[in-house]
Amino acid sequence: MSIELKKALYNISALADLGQEITSEDNFTVKIQSVLHVIMGTFVVNRGAILWYEKTKDEITFIAKRGFEDASPACWETGQIMSLEKNEPRAVSGDSVLAGAGVAILIPLWVRDEFIGAVVLGDKFSAEAYSPEDLELLKVIAHQTAITINNHALFMGLSEKLEENRKLYEEMRRIYHDTLQAFAAAIDAKDVYTKNHSHRVARYSVAIARELGWNEHDVEGIYVAGFLHDVGKLVISNELLNKRKPFTSDELHEMKRHSLLSYKIISNIRFPWKDVENIIRHHHERLDGNGYPDALTREDLSDGVKILTLADSFDAMTTERAYREKMDIRTALVELRSCLDTQFDNKIMLAFCKVLEKEIKGELPEPNILPHLDRNFELSHITALLEGLIQELSQ
Amino acid sequence: MKSTAFNVASKCQGDAAVVYPRGYLNNIAGESLVSECHNVIGQGAKKIVLNFRETDFINSIGVSLLLNIIEDLNNIGGTLCFAEMSKIHRDTFEMLGLTKYILVFNDENEALQYLSTETS
Ligand SMILES: [Fe+2]
Repeated sequence: MSIELKKALYNISALADLGQEITSEDNFTVKIQSVLHVIMGTFVVNRGAILWYEKTKDEITFIAKRGFEDASPACWETGQIMSLEKNEPRAVSGDSVLAGAGVAILIPLWVRDEFIGAVVLGDKFSAEAYSPEDLELLKVIAHQTAITINNHALFMGLSEKLEENRKLYEEMRRIYHDTLQAFAAAIDAKDVYTKNHSHRVARYSVAIARELGWNEHDVEGIYVAGFLHDVGKLVISNELLNKRKPFTSDELHEMKRHSLLSYKIISNIRFPWKDVENIIRHHHERLDGNGYPDALTREDLSDGVKILTLADSFDAMTTERAYREKMDIRTALVELRSCLDTQFDNKIMLAFCKVLEKEIKGELPEPNILPHLDRNFELSHITALLEGLIQELSQ
Repeated sequence: MKSTAFNVASKCQGDAAVVYPRGYLNNIAGESLVSECHNVIGQGAKKIVLNFRETDFINSIGVSLLLNIIEDLNNIGGTLCFAEMSKIHRDTFEMLGLTKYILVFNDENEALQYLSTETS
Protein backbone atom coordinates (compact mmCIF):
# COMPACT_ATOMS: atom_id res chain seq x y z
CA MET A 1 0.00 0.00 0.00
CA SER A 2 1.42 3.41 -0.91
CA ILE A 3 1.98 6.01 1.78
CA GLU A 4 -0.62 8.27 0.14
CA LEU A 5 -3.20 5.51 0.32
CA LYS A 6 -2.37 4.79 3.94
CA LYS A 7 -2.64 8.48 4.72
CA ALA A 8 -5.97 8.75 2.86
CA LEU A 9 -7.37 5.78 4.76
CA TYR A 10 -6.16 7.18 8.06
CA ASN A 11 -7.96 10.41 7.19
CA ILE A 12 -11.19 8.59 6.29
CA SER A 13 -11.13 6.81 9.61
CA ALA A 14 -10.41 10.08 11.41
CA LEU A 15 -13.58 11.48 9.86
CA ALA A 16 -15.46 8.40 11.02
CA ASP A 17 -14.00 8.97 14.53
CA LEU A 18 -15.15 12.56 14.39
CA GLY A 19 -18.62 11.54 13.26
CA GLN A 20 -18.86 9.12 16.13
CA GLU A 21 -17.77 11.69 18.70
CA ILE A 22 -20.06 14.48 17.60
CA THR A 23 -23.07 12.23 17.46
CA SER A 24 -22.29 10.50 20.77
CA GLU A 25 -24.48 10.97 23.79
CA ASP A 26 -21.58 12.09 25.96
CA ASN A 27 -21.88 15.41 27.73
CA PHE A 28 -20.60 18.45 25.89
CA THR A 29 -17.31 18.76 27.79
CA VAL A 30 -16.34 15.15 27.05
CA LYS A 31 -17.53 15.49 23.48
CA ILE A 32 -15.50 18.60 22.73
CA GLN A 33 -12.41 17.17 24.47
CA SER A 34 -12.76 14.04 22.32
CA VAL A 35 -13.12 16.15 19.18
CA LEU A 36 -9.88 17.92 20.09
CA HIS A 37 -8.14 14.55 20.54
CA VAL A 38 -9.38 13.45 17.10
CA ILE A 39 -7.98 16.62 15.55
CA MET A 40 -4.63 16.32 17.33
CA GLY A 41 -4.32 12.61 16.55
CA THR A 42 -5.19 13.20 12.90
CA PHE A 43 -2.60 15.90 12.32
CA VAL A 44 -0.11 14.62 14.90
CA VAL A 45 0.23 17.81 16.93
CA ASN A 46 0.84 18.11 20.64
CA ARG A 47 -0.58 21.59 21.10
CA GLY A 48 -4.16 22.40 20.18
CA ALA A 49 -7.32 24.04 21.48
CA ILE A 50 -10.95 24.73 20.72
CA LEU A 51 -12.25 28.15 21.67
CA TRP A 52 -15.76 29.51 22.10
CA TYR A 53 -16.88 33.05 21.41
CA GLU A 54 -18.85 34.63 24.21
CA LYS A 55 -20.93 37.24 22.45
CA THR A 56 -21.97 39.26 25.49
CA LYS A 57 -18.35 39.74 26.58
CA ASP A 58 -16.90 39.88 23.04
CA GLU A 59 -14.25 37.46 24.22
CA ILE A 60 -13.04 34.02 23.26
CA THR A 61 -12.27 31.37 25.87
CA PHE A 62 -10.84 27.84 25.82
CA ILE A 63 -13.38 25.03 25.99
CA ALA A 64 -10.79 22.31 25.37
CA LYS A 65 -7.03 22.56 25.20
CA ARG A 66 -3.71 20.81 25.42
CA GLY A 67 -0.55 22.88 25.67
CA PHE A 68 -1.13 26.67 25.52
CA GLU A 69 -0.67 26.78 29.30
CA ASP A 70 0.45 30.40 29.26
CA ALA A 71 -1.90 31.65 26.57
CA SER A 72 -4.62 34.15 27.48
CA PRO A 73 -7.11 34.24 24.61
CA ALA A 74 -9.08 37.01 26.34
CA CYS A 75 -6.37 39.31 24.97
CA TRP A 76 -6.65 38.02 21.42
CA GLU A 77 -8.27 40.42 18.98
CA THR A 78 -11.64 38.83 18.23
CA GLY A 79 -12.40 41.46 15.58
CA GLN A 80 -9.30 40.45 13.68
CA ILE A 81 -10.12 36.73 13.87
CA MET A 82 -13.67 37.43 12.72
CA SER A 83 -12.36 39.35 9.70
CA LEU A 84 -10.62 36.24 8.36
CA GLU A 85 -12.27 33.92 5.86
CA LYS A 86 -14.92 31.70 7.48
CA ASN A 87 -13.83 28.16 8.43
CA GLU A 88 -10.61 28.53 6.38
CA PRO A 89 -7.45 27.26 8.06
CA ARG A 90 -4.63 29.78 7.79
CA ALA A 91 -1.03 29.91 8.86
CA VAL A 92 -0.36 32.48 11.57
CA SER A 93 2.28 35.07 10.71
CA GLY A 94 5.51 34.99 12.65
CA ASP A 95 5.31 38.25 14.58
CA SER A 96 1.70 38.18 15.82
CA VAL A 97 0.40 37.76 19.38
CA LEU A 98 -0.99 34.38 18.33
CA ALA A 99 2.37 33.15 17.07
CA GLY A 100 3.86 34.30 20.38
CA ALA A 101 1.37 32.04 22.15
CA GLY A 102 2.50 29.09 20.03
CA VAL A 103 -0.29 29.07 17.45
CA ALA A 104 0.76 27.88 13.98
CA ILE A 105 -2.66 27.39 12.38
CA LEU A 106 -5.88 29.24 13.13
CA ILE A 107 -9.36 28.37 11.87
CA PRO A 108 -12.16 30.84 12.64
CA LEU A 109 -15.34 28.83 13.23
CA TRP A 110 -18.57 30.02 11.67
CA VAL A 111 -22.03 28.56 11.15
CA ARG A 112 -23.68 30.62 8.45
CA ASP A 113 -23.46 34.22 9.77
CA GLU A 114 -22.76 33.31 13.35
CA PHE A 115 -19.19 33.53 14.67
CA ILE A 116 -18.73 30.52 16.95
CA GLY A 117 -15.07 30.58 18.00
CA ALA A 118 -11.85 29.08 16.72
CA VAL A 119 -9.65 26.02 16.52
CA VAL A 120 -5.94 26.67 17.00
CA LEU A 121 -3.10 24.22 16.46
CA GLY A 122 0.62 24.35 17.15
CA ASP A 123 3.28 23.01 14.83
CA LYS A 124 3.22 19.36 13.88
CA PHE A 125 5.14 17.09 16.23
CA SER A 126 7.43 16.18 13.34
CA ALA A 127 7.98 19.90 12.60
CA GLU A 128 6.84 19.22 9.02
CA ALA A 129 4.67 21.87 7.40
CA TYR A 130 0.91 21.33 7.07
CA SER A 131 0.19 20.02 3.56
CA PRO A 132 -2.61 21.38 1.34
CA GLU A 133 -4.48 18.07 1.97
CA ASP A 134 -4.14 18.63 5.73
CA LEU A 135 -5.68 22.08 5.37
CA GLU A 136 -8.50 20.72 3.23
CA LEU A 137 -9.34 18.04 5.78
CA LEU A 138 -8.99 20.52 8.62
CA LYS A 139 -11.58 22.71 6.95
CA VAL A 140 -14.14 19.88 6.93
CA ILE A 141 -13.37 19.02 10.54
CA ALA A 142 -13.55 22.67 11.63
CA HIS A 143 -16.93 23.12 10.01
CA GLN A 144 -18.32 20.09 11.84
CA THR A 145 -16.80 21.31 15.10
CA ALA A 146 -18.45 24.69 14.60
CA ILE A 147 -21.83 23.05 14.09
CA THR A 148 -21.37 20.89 17.17
CA ILE A 149 -20.58 23.89 19.35
CA ASN A 150 -23.41 25.90 17.87
CA ASN A 151 -25.88 23.07 18.38
CA HIS A 152 -24.85 22.90 21.98
CA ALA A 153 -25.30 26.63 22.42
CA LEU A 154 -28.70 26.46 20.76
CA PHE A 155 -29.72 23.50 22.84
CA MET A 156 -28.69 25.25 26.04
CA GLY A 157 -30.39 28.48 25.11
CA LEU A 158 -33.46 28.28 23.02
CA SER A 159 -35.72 25.35 22.50
CA GLU A 160 -37.67 27.18 19.81
CA LYS A 161 -34.61 26.93 17.65
CA LEU A 162 -34.97 23.16 17.44
CA GLU A 163 -35.91 23.34 13.82
CA GLU A 164 -32.76 25.22 12.96
CA ASN A 165 -30.83 22.72 15.02
CA ARG A 166 -32.21 19.92 12.91
CA LYS A 167 -31.19 21.71 9.74
CA LEU A 168 -27.68 22.15 11.05
CA TYR A 169 -27.39 18.46 11.76
CA GLU A 170 -28.54 17.86 8.22
CA GLU A 171 -25.83 20.20 7.03
CA MET A 172 -23.25 18.35 9.08
CA ARG A 173 -24.34 15.02 7.69
CA ARG A 174 -24.16 16.43 4.20
CA ILE A 175 -20.58 17.55 4.69
CA TYR A 176 -19.72 14.09 5.96
CA HIS A 177 -21.24 12.52 2.87
CA ASP A 178 -19.55 15.00 0.55
CA THR A 179 -16.26 13.92 2.01
CA LEU A 180 -17.03 10.22 1.51
CA GLN A 181 -18.00 11.12 -2.03
CA ALA A 182 -14.58 12.66 -2.60
CA PHE A 183 -12.97 9.39 -1.56
CA ALA A 184 -15.28 7.41 -3.85
CA ALA A 185 -14.23 9.68 -6.71
CA ALA A 186 -10.61 8.75 -5.98
CA ILE A 187 -11.54 5.07 -6.36
CA ASP A 188 -13.46 5.54 -9.59
CA ALA A 189 -10.74 7.73 -11.06
CA LYS A 190 -8.34 4.78 -11.13
CA ASP A 191 -10.39 2.96 -13.70
CA VAL A 192 -11.50 5.13 -16.61
CA TYR A 193 -14.34 2.75 -17.42
CA THR A 194 -15.88 2.80 -13.99
CA LYS A 195 -16.14 6.57 -13.68
CA ASN A 196 -18.90 7.39 -11.17
CA HIS A 197 -19.60 3.67 -10.73
CA SER A 198 -19.47 3.89 -6.92
CA HIS A 199 -21.75 6.89 -6.94
CA ARG A 200 -24.38 5.17 -9.09
CA VAL A 201 -24.21 1.89 -7.17
CA ALA A 202 -24.77 3.86 -3.94
CA ARG A 203 -27.83 5.61 -5.41
CA TYR A 204 -29.33 2.44 -6.88
CA SER A 205 -28.85 0.65 -3.55
CA VAL A 206 -30.59 3.48 -1.71
CA ALA A 207 -33.54 3.29 -4.10
CA ILE A 208 -33.97 -0.45 -3.52
CA ALA A 209 -33.51 -0.24 0.27
CA ARG A 210 -36.13 2.53 0.55
CA GLU A 211 -38.55 0.51 -1.59
CA LEU A 212 -38.04 -2.37 0.85
CA GLY A 213 -39.06 -0.05 3.67
CA TRP A 214 -35.66 0.27 5.38
CA ASN A 215 -35.32 3.04 7.97
CA GLU A 216 -33.23 6.08 7.00
CA HIS A 217 -30.31 5.14 9.24
CA ASP A 218 -29.90 1.76 7.53
CA VAL A 219 -30.43 3.41 4.15
CA GLU A 220 -27.47 5.66 4.91
CA GLY A 221 -25.41 2.58 5.76
CA ILE A 222 -26.04 0.96 2.40
CA TYR A 223 -25.31 4.25 0.69
CA VAL A 224 -21.88 4.34 2.32
CA ALA A 225 -21.33 0.64 1.47
CA GLY A 226 -22.15 1.44 -2.16
CA PHE A 227 -19.66 4.27 -2.19
CA LEU A 228 -16.81 2.30 -0.74
CA HIS A 229 -17.42 -1.25 -2.03
CA ASP A 230 -14.59 -1.11 -4.56
CA VAL A 231 -12.06 0.72 -2.38
CA GLY A 232 -9.85 -2.40 -2.60
CA LYS A 233 -9.29 -1.57 -6.28
CA LEU A 234 -6.97 1.22 -5.15
CA VAL A 235 -4.47 -1.53 -4.42
CA ILE A 236 -4.83 -3.25 -7.82
CA SER A 237 -2.58 -2.06 -10.65
CA ASN A 238 -3.91 0.41 -13.23
CA GLU A 239 -2.75 -1.78 -16.13
CA LEU A 240 -4.87 -4.65 -14.88
CA LEU A 241 -7.92 -2.51 -14.12
CA ASN A 242 -7.90 -0.99 -17.58
CA LYS A 243 -6.89 -4.08 -19.55
CA ARG A 244 -8.82 -4.51 -22.80
CA LYS A 245 -8.03 -8.16 -23.49
CA PRO A 246 -9.68 -10.95 -21.47
CA PHE A 247 -7.97 -11.69 -18.16
CA THR A 248 -5.68 -14.68 -17.75
CA SER A 249 -6.60 -16.91 -14.84
CA ASP A 250 -3.86 -15.33 -12.70
CA GLU A 251 -5.13 -11.89 -13.52
CA LEU A 252 -8.69 -12.89 -12.76
CA HIS A 253 -7.52 -14.21 -9.43
CA GLU A 254 -5.82 -10.90 -8.74
CA MET A 255 -8.94 -8.92 -9.73
CA LYS A 256 -11.09 -11.05 -7.45
CA ARG A 257 -8.99 -10.03 -4.47
CA HIS A 258 -10.56 -6.58 -4.50
CA SER A 259 -13.68 -7.37 -2.45
CA LEU A 260 -11.60 -8.92 0.33
CA LEU A 261 -9.15 -6.00 0.14
CA SER A 262 -12.07 -3.57 0.40
CA TYR A 263 -13.25 -5.46 3.46
CA LYS A 264 -9.83 -5.37 5.10
CA ILE A 265 -9.53 -1.65 4.58
CA ILE A 266 -13.08 -0.84 5.66
CA SER A 267 -13.14 -3.10 8.71
CA ASN A 268 -10.54 -0.84 10.30
CA ILE A 269 -13.06 1.99 10.26
CA ARG A 270 -15.77 2.20 12.88
CA PHE A 271 -18.78 3.50 11.04
CA PRO A 272 -21.96 4.47 12.87
CA TRP A 273 -23.81 2.01 10.59
CA LYS A 274 -23.81 -1.70 11.25
CA ASP A 275 -22.63 -4.27 8.74
CA VAL A 276 -21.05 -1.90 6.18
CA GLU A 277 -17.87 -4.00 6.11
CA ASN A 278 -19.69 -7.32 5.61
CA ILE A 279 -21.89 -5.97 2.85
CA ILE A 280 -18.72 -4.81 1.11
CA ARG A 281 -16.89 -8.12 1.65
CA HIS A 282 -19.68 -10.11 0.04
CA HIS A 283 -20.64 -7.93 -2.89
CA HIS A 284 -19.48 -10.61 -5.35
CA GLU A 285 -21.14 -13.56 -3.64
CA ARG A 286 -23.93 -15.44 -5.44
CA LEU A 287 -27.05 -17.25 -4.27
CA ASP A 288 -25.80 -20.51 -5.80
CA GLY A 289 -22.52 -20.42 -3.88
CA ASN A 290 -20.36 -19.72 -6.93
CA GLY A 291 -19.31 -16.26 -5.81
CA TYR A 292 -16.29 -15.02 -3.88
CA PRO A 293 -14.46 -14.61 -1.53
CA ASP A 294 -16.35 -17.00 0.78
CA ALA A 295 -18.65 -18.91 -1.63
CA LEU A 296 -21.60 -18.21 0.66
CA THR A 297 -25.10 -19.31 -0.33
CA ARG A 298 -28.57 -17.77 -0.23
CA GLU A 299 -29.24 -18.34 3.49
CA ASP A 300 -25.98 -16.67 4.53
CA LEU A 301 -26.44 -13.50 2.51
CA SER A 302 -28.09 -10.48 4.10
CA ASP A 303 -30.55 -8.28 2.23
CA GLY A 304 -27.87 -5.58 2.24
CA VAL A 305 -25.48 -7.84 0.32
CA LYS A 306 -28.20 -8.85 -2.12
CA ILE A 307 -29.10 -5.21 -2.79
CA LEU A 308 -25.52 -4.15 -3.40
CA THR A 309 -24.86 -7.16 -5.66
CA LEU A 310 -27.82 -6.36 -7.87
CA ALA A 311 -27.09 -2.62 -7.99
CA ASP A 312 -23.43 -3.31 -8.81
CA SER A 313 -24.28 -5.77 -11.60
CA PHE A 314 -26.97 -3.56 -13.12
CA ASP A 315 -24.54 -0.66 -13.35
CA ALA A 316 -21.76 -2.88 -14.68
CA MET A 317 -24.11 -4.11 -17.43
CA THR A 318 -25.40 -0.70 -18.44
CA THR A 319 -22.02 1.01 -18.70
CA GLU A 320 -19.16 0.45 -21.10
CA ARG A 321 -16.17 -1.60 -19.93
CA ALA A 322 -12.64 -1.95 -21.25
CA TYR A 323 -13.50 -5.33 -22.70
CA ARG A 324 -17.07 -4.87 -23.93
CA GLU A 325 -19.81 -2.50 -25.05
CA LYS A 326 -22.61 -1.49 -22.72
CA MET A 327 -26.02 -3.17 -22.75
CA ASP A 328 -29.24 -1.23 -23.17
CA ILE A 329 -31.58 -1.14 -20.18
CA ARG A 330 -34.05 -3.64 -21.57
CA THR A 331 -31.32 -6.21 -22.26
CA ALA A 332 -29.86 -5.65 -18.81
CA LEU A 333 -33.24 -6.28 -17.14
CA VAL A 334 -33.70 -9.47 -19.13
CA GLU A 335 -30.18 -10.52 -18.17
CA LEU A 336 -30.85 -9.87 -14.46
CA ARG A 337 -34.04 -11.90 -14.73
CA SER A 338 -32.21 -14.84 -16.27
CA CYS A 339 -29.82 -14.85 -13.32
CA LEU A 340 -32.51 -14.94 -10.62
CA ASP A 341 -32.00 -17.90 -8.29
CA THR A 342 -28.38 -18.27 -9.32
CA GLN A 343 -27.13 -14.74 -8.61
CA PHE A 344 -29.92 -12.39 -7.67
CA ASP A 345 -32.72 -12.59 -5.18
CA ASN A 346 -36.37 -12.40 -6.31
CA LYS A 347 -37.42 -10.07 -3.51
CA ILE A 348 -34.64 -7.58 -4.31
CA MET A 349 -35.33 -7.78 -8.05
CA LEU A 350 -39.01 -7.13 -7.37
CA ALA A 351 -38.16 -4.05 -5.29
CA PHE A 352 -35.80 -2.83 -8.00
CA CYS A 353 -38.45 -3.22 -10.73
CA LYS A 354 -41.08 -1.52 -8.58
CA VAL A 355 -38.94 1.49 -7.75
CA LEU A 356 -37.80 1.83 -11.35
CA GLU A 357 -41.41 1.77 -12.48
CA LYS A 358 -42.36 4.40 -9.91
CA GLU A 359 -39.50 6.61 -11.07
CA ILE A 360 -40.55 6.27 -14.72
CA LYS A 361 -44.12 7.15 -13.81
CA GLY A 362 -42.83 10.21 -11.96
CA GLU A 363 -44.20 9.04 -8.63
CA LEU A 364 -41.00 9.71 -6.71
CA PRO A 365 -39.92 13.33 -6.11
CA GLU A 366 -36.21 12.51 -6.04
CA PRO A 367 -35.41 9.66 -8.42
CA ASN A 368 -32.18 7.78 -7.70
CA ILE A 369 -31.96 5.58 -10.78
CA LEU A 370 -33.39 7.47 -13.75
CA PRO A 371 -30.92 10.39 -13.78
CA HIS A 372 -28.08 7.93 -14.37
CA LEU A 373 -29.60 5.90 -17.20
CA ASP A 374 -28.86 6.34 -20.89
CA ARG A 375 -30.82 9.37 -22.08
CA ASN A 376 -31.17 8.05 -25.61
CA PHE A 377 -33.10 5.04 -24.43
CA GLU A 378 -36.86 5.28 -24.83
CA LEU A 379 -38.14 4.36 -21.37
CA SER A 380 -41.63 3.52 -22.62
CA HIS A 381 -40.00 0.46 -24.20
CA ILE A 382 -39.53 -1.16 -20.85
CA THR A 383 -42.80 -0.35 -19.07
CA ALA A 384 -44.48 -3.51 -20.31
CA LEU A 385 -41.42 -5.58 -19.41
CA LEU A 386 -41.34 -4.07 -15.90
CA GLU A 387 -45.04 -4.71 -15.41
CA GLY A 388 -44.58 -8.33 -16.46
CA LEU A 389 -41.62 -8.80 -14.14
CA ILE A 390 -43.48 -7.26 -11.20
CA GLN A 391 -46.46 -9.52 -11.78
CA GLU A 392 -44.29 -12.60 -12.15
CA LEU A 393 -42.20 -11.86 -9.05
CA SER A 394 -45.20 -10.89 -6.88
CA GLN A 395 -46.66 -14.37 -7.12
CA MET B 1 -21.75 0.80 19.18
CA LYS B 2 -19.80 -1.73 21.20
CA SER B 3 -17.09 -0.34 23.42
CA THR B 4 -14.89 -2.25 25.80
CA ALA B 5 -14.25 -0.73 29.24
CA PHE B 6 -10.68 0.49 29.14
CA ASN B 7 -8.29 -0.07 32.04
CA VAL B 8 -4.58 0.07 32.73
CA ALA B 9 -2.12 -2.01 34.75
CA SER B 10 1.60 -1.49 35.33
CA LYS B 11 4.66 -3.00 36.95
CA CYS B 12 8.10 -1.65 37.74
CA GLN B 13 11.29 -3.41 36.82
CA GLY B 14 14.44 -1.57 37.91
CA ASP B 15 14.41 1.92 36.44
CA ALA B 16 11.91 0.81 33.81
CA ALA B 17 8.16 0.38 34.01
CA VAL B 18 5.89 -1.77 31.89
CA VAL B 19 2.42 -0.35 31.33
CA TYR B 20 -0.43 -2.45 29.95
CA PRO B 21 -3.31 -0.66 28.25
CA ARG B 22 -6.28 -3.05 28.15
CA GLY B 23 -9.16 -2.52 25.78
CA TYR B 24 -9.82 -0.15 22.93
CA LEU B 25 -7.78 3.02 22.84
CA ASN B 26 -10.49 4.99 21.07
CA ASN B 27 -12.07 7.37 23.53
CA ILE B 28 -11.45 9.67 26.43
CA ALA B 29 -11.26 6.71 28.85
CA GLY B 30 -7.77 6.23 27.41
CA GLU B 31 -6.64 9.30 29.38
CA SER B 32 -6.09 6.89 32.27
CA LEU B 33 -3.17 5.47 30.26
CA VAL B 34 -1.60 8.93 30.07
CA SER B 35 -2.03 9.47 33.81
CA GLU B 36 -0.64 6.03 34.65
CA CYS B 37 2.50 6.85 32.64
CA HIS B 38 2.62 10.16 34.47
CA ASN B 39 2.50 8.27 37.78
CA VAL B 40 5.33 5.90 36.95
CA ILE B 41 7.43 8.83 35.74
CA GLY B 42 6.66 10.52 39.06
CA GLN B 43 7.95 7.41 40.82
CA GLY B 44 11.25 7.79 38.99
CA ALA B 45 10.85 5.66 35.88
CA LYS B 46 12.58 7.16 32.83
CA LYS B 47 12.03 4.15 30.61
CA ILE B 48 8.55 2.92 29.80
CA VAL B 49 7.48 -0.11 27.84
CA LEU B 50 3.89 0.03 26.60
CA ASN B 51 2.69 -3.51 26.02
CA PHE B 52 -0.18 -3.52 23.52
CA ARG B 53 -0.98 -7.22 23.90
CA GLU B 54 -4.54 -6.44 24.97
CA THR B 55 -5.16 -3.43 22.78
CA ASP B 56 -6.41 -4.37 19.36
CA PHE B 57 -7.90 -1.07 18.35
CA ILE B 58 -6.34 2.39 18.30
CA ASN B 59 -7.98 5.33 16.52
CA SER B 60 -7.05 8.99 16.10
CA ILE B 61 -7.96 9.69 19.73
CA GLY B 62 -5.58 6.91 20.77
CA VAL B 63 -2.85 8.41 18.60
CA SER B 64 -3.36 11.76 20.32
CA LEU B 65 -3.11 10.14 23.76
CA LEU B 66 0.05 8.23 22.83
CA LEU B 67 1.48 11.48 21.52
CA ASN B 68 1.00 12.94 25.01
CA ILE B 69 3.05 10.10 26.49
CA ILE B 70 5.77 10.46 23.86
CA GLU B 71 5.99 14.15 24.72
CA ASP B 72 6.06 13.53 28.48
CA LEU B 73 9.00 11.15 28.13
CA ASN B 74 10.75 13.41 25.63
CA ASN B 75 10.60 16.21 28.18
CA ILE B 76 12.59 14.19 30.73
CA GLY B 77 14.95 12.64 28.17
CA GLY B 78 13.47 9.20 28.78
CA THR B 79 12.91 6.24 26.46
CA LEU B 80 9.57 4.92 25.27
CA CYS B 81 9.21 1.39 23.86
CA PHE B 82 6.20 -0.18 22.20
CA ALA B 83 5.86 -3.95 22.44
CA GLU B 84 3.45 -6.46 20.92
CA MET B 85 1.86 -3.86 18.69
CA SER B 86 -0.11 -5.25 15.76
CA LYS B 87 1.25 -4.79 12.25
CA ILE B 88 -1.54 -2.45 11.25
CA HIS B 89 -0.87 -0.08 14.15
CA ARG B 90 2.86 -0.30 13.61
CA ASP B 91 2.29 0.71 9.97
CA THR B 92 0.08 3.59 11.04
CA PHE B 93 2.70 4.90 13.45
CA GLU B 94 5.32 4.58 10.78
CA MET B 95 3.17 6.46 8.28
CA LEU B 96 2.55 9.22 10.82
CA GLY B 97 6.31 9.56 11.36
CA LEU B 98 6.09 8.64 15.05
CA THR B 99 8.42 5.64 14.99
CA LYS B 100 11.31 8.12 15.14
CA TYR B 101 10.44 8.88 18.74
CA ILE B 102 9.85 5.38 20.02
CA LEU B 103 11.49 1.99 19.91
CA VAL B 104 9.41 -0.87 18.62
CA PHE B 105 9.93 -4.43 19.89
CA ASN B 106 8.16 -7.67 19.22
CA ASP B 107 7.78 -8.49 22.89
CA GLU B 108 8.21 -7.04 26.32
CA ASN B 109 11.29 -9.06 27.27
CA GLU B 110 13.15 -7.92 24.20
CA ALA B 111 12.36 -4.34 25.14
CA LEU B 112 13.42 -4.77 28.77
CA GLN B 113 16.61 -6.49 27.71
CA TYR B 114 17.45 -3.63 25.42
CA LEU B 115 16.67 -1.07 28.12
CA SER B 116 18.87 -2.86 30.66
CA THR B 117 21.87 -2.46 28.36
CA GLU B 118 21.10 1.18 27.65
CA THR B 119 22.97 3.58 29.92
CA SER B 120 20.70 6.18 31.36
FE1 LIG C 1 -16.57 -5.12 -7.07
